Amino acid sequence: MSTLLEIVQPSYLLFPALLGTLILGLVCPLVGSYLILRRTVFLGLTLPQIAAAGVAFTFWLQQTGFLPQLGQGERGIAMFGSLAFTFLGMGLLGYLEQRGKGLAEGRLAAAYALAGGLTILFMVFNPVGQVEVLNLLKGEVIALSRGELQLLAGVFGLVFVAMLMFRREFLLTSFDRDLAFLLKGRQVIWDVLLYLLAGLIIAFGVIMAGPLLIFGFLVLPALAAKPLVSRMSSFLTLSAVLGLVMAFFGFYSSVSLDLPLGPTDVTLGCCLIFLAYGLHRFSAKIGVAMLILASAVALNSGCAREIVATTVPEAKVIRSEQVWLAKVKNSTALPLFLPTNNPLRSLVEMAGKAPSDYRESVMDLVRDGVRRELEQKGYRVALPEDMDARFPPLSSDAGGAVRVAREGKLSGLIFVSEIRRWEGTSQQFVRVLADFKLVRLEDGAVLWDRRVQRAVSTPSATNQGQAYMDAVREIVRDLFA
Amino acid sequence: MKSDQDVDEIKLTRGRDLIEGSLPLVSLRDVNLGYDSAPVLQNVNLAIYPGSLVGLAGPNGSGKTTLFRSILGLLPILSGSLSRVCPLSNFGYVPQSAALDSQFPLSASEVVEMGAYGRVRSYQFTPKGERERIREVLNQIGLPHLAGRSFFSLSGGQKQRMLIARALMVDPKIMILDEPLSGVDEESRKSITDLLVQLTRERNIAVFFSSHDLEMVQRVADGIVRVDHGQIQLEERKARLQP
Repeated sequence: MSTLLEIVQPSYLLFPALLGTLILGLVCPLVGSYLILRRTVFLGLTLPQIAAAGVAFTFWLQQTGFLPQLGQGERGIAMFGSLAFTFLGMGLLGYLEQRGKGLAEGRLAAAYALAGGLTILFMVFNPVGQVEVLNLLKGEVIALSRGELQLLAGVFGLVFVAMLMFRREFLLTSFDRDLAFLLKGRQVIWDVLLYLLAGLIIAFGVIMAGPLLIFGFLVLPALAAKPLVSRMSSFLTLSAVLGLVMAFFGFYSSVSLDLPLGPTDVTLGCCLIFLAYGLHRFSAKIGVAMLILASAVALNSGCAREIVATTVPEAKVIRSEQVWLAKVKNSTALPLFLPTNNPLRSLVEMAGKAPSDYRESVMDLVRDGVRRELEQKGYRVALPEDMDARFPPLSSDAGGAVRVAREGKLSGLIFVSEIRRWEGTSQQFVRVLADFKLVRLEDGAVLWDRRVQRAVSTPSATNQGQAYMDAVREIVRDLFA
Repeated sequence: MKSDQDVDEIKLTRGRDLIEGSLPLVSLRDVNLGYDSAPVLQNVNLAIYPGSLVGLAGPNGSGKTTLFRSILGLLPILSGSLSRVCPLSNFGYVPQSAALDSQFPLSASEVVEMGAYGRVRSYQFTPKGERERIREVLNQIGLPHLAGRSFFSLSGGQKQRMLIARALMVDPKIMILDEPLSGVDEESRKSITDLLVQLTRERNIAVFFSSHDLEMVQRVADGIVRVDHGQIQLEERKARLQP
């Protein structure tokens, strides 16, 4: 099934993440439109950074013992910090605004710099939880669980309804404060409500999706919509539609090209702005028609791209039984050790099959799994290090692998594996990019190759180690089934 | 007393049955106006009656906008008494179009519709009656064909007339216009002044407008309020446009 059709299936592993991204794409531009029109767009940059400082602060408090360790509730703690700092920051900025001291842009710039600095300092104070904090600040919307999706839908749904319901009040107070006063009385309540809604989506959004993506969704669709419309109602509608387009195609590109979602979405949003200013030269009807045409082409190209996966051929099919199984190369820059509480480790140690300082890694699991399956397919598997202990892990570059193998005086077939990406930010799945090849050493011909590039589901895992093991099992089954 | 005399002077400018027995829509007695306790205008005594067309003349920075903002309740008075017989929602305010942010993507009809926002509930779509009223006021100002155009793409005169239409949407008893003729070509000036006279005559709306063009104010207004050096002076009517 093509990637495009796959990601819109409710059974798809990352379907909650897709829905979450679409919700962000729909609601954030509605609020961001007003930030742009009120010329307070830097608030959309500063508040997410303040929220991020709140996240780092609460984790630091947790590490120092002021807050309890909640295990699975770490997102709850982070959300508390994010909300508290966001509203505190908004209150402080509002107070300074009322006092009218200094430039508004200057205050926002200083607040942004301070929040950025504090975020880093809180992380430095908390080396133990640095990775967790970094993951939260990166805001992997891709790791959104169904429970978090429900929370996101609830909060953002509330904001969406409020933005529709009070659209006249927000427009009037933004456009003509004097008339707003005459018709509706003191307008401060509408200012407070608008910034409250902005603060709410920023505080929640930063935890779910990270500051970059939230800022991108707040401003980019609205900036792209602006040159194409001359009515406020059209502006808000088109901003939301472009937000959805940015969310969907960003997600699709991220999954199909294995790119991180935040930067992909933001890049796409910037492309939409260039496209919009290009279309601005044409009439509105032609512009919209071209936009629809471009979307249709993108959709069609997505549907047409079928990925045909093949499994490792039987030994008799390629008339060879001997295969060298190279060590799995780890190109991720992460050690990929299984957590030390892995129960299998103690069994291995007790059996005397591993030294006490030995730690099993994902590469070991992959190699063991591949070895078992190759034997099932009728191959006689040999390990290069049995012939020469100095044999290194071989990369999936066939030419390089063949050269090293020949230098080591190997002949016949060699199976090489390389893990390029291995991310387990959630216990529900692991994002994997790995290459596998079966190469004939005599002529360097690649007899079979396969790239695994997807989020591998690990629904029954109760800890990270188990998630890694389940993921390896799933990948190996995928290669040989 | 000087202040009572001044108030009476404005009464005299109309001097007809029109204001007999009616209360002033706005009256200021011994009012000091300004910002941060620093008075810009002192001892202001003024009353504006239904159906009167009053011009406010004075050089830039003399306090015209300060007076307007105080009458509209946007700026608290420093001392004295200011009374209004109708709620602020019955005040039609026409700001200078240059004071509005051209960043907003608004059509002319959306700008006019804002005048109805005080009557429409938050959760409602714009009622049919209000949409008809928008068409009506656009016809009244003679620009129904520009309803769908971007507000900020209109000429200065067209924008000003659209803002008058917006003020008419509130069903005003009094209209306050801040420099409605500045940056407007001669033809538009005439059509705007004709419209203002028509509103006072046919709908008994009081119109209080400012301009730094004294000659024009003298030609159009029933009464003239001159502001200069922190004081106001009331002048009798010099001339009047015929409808």
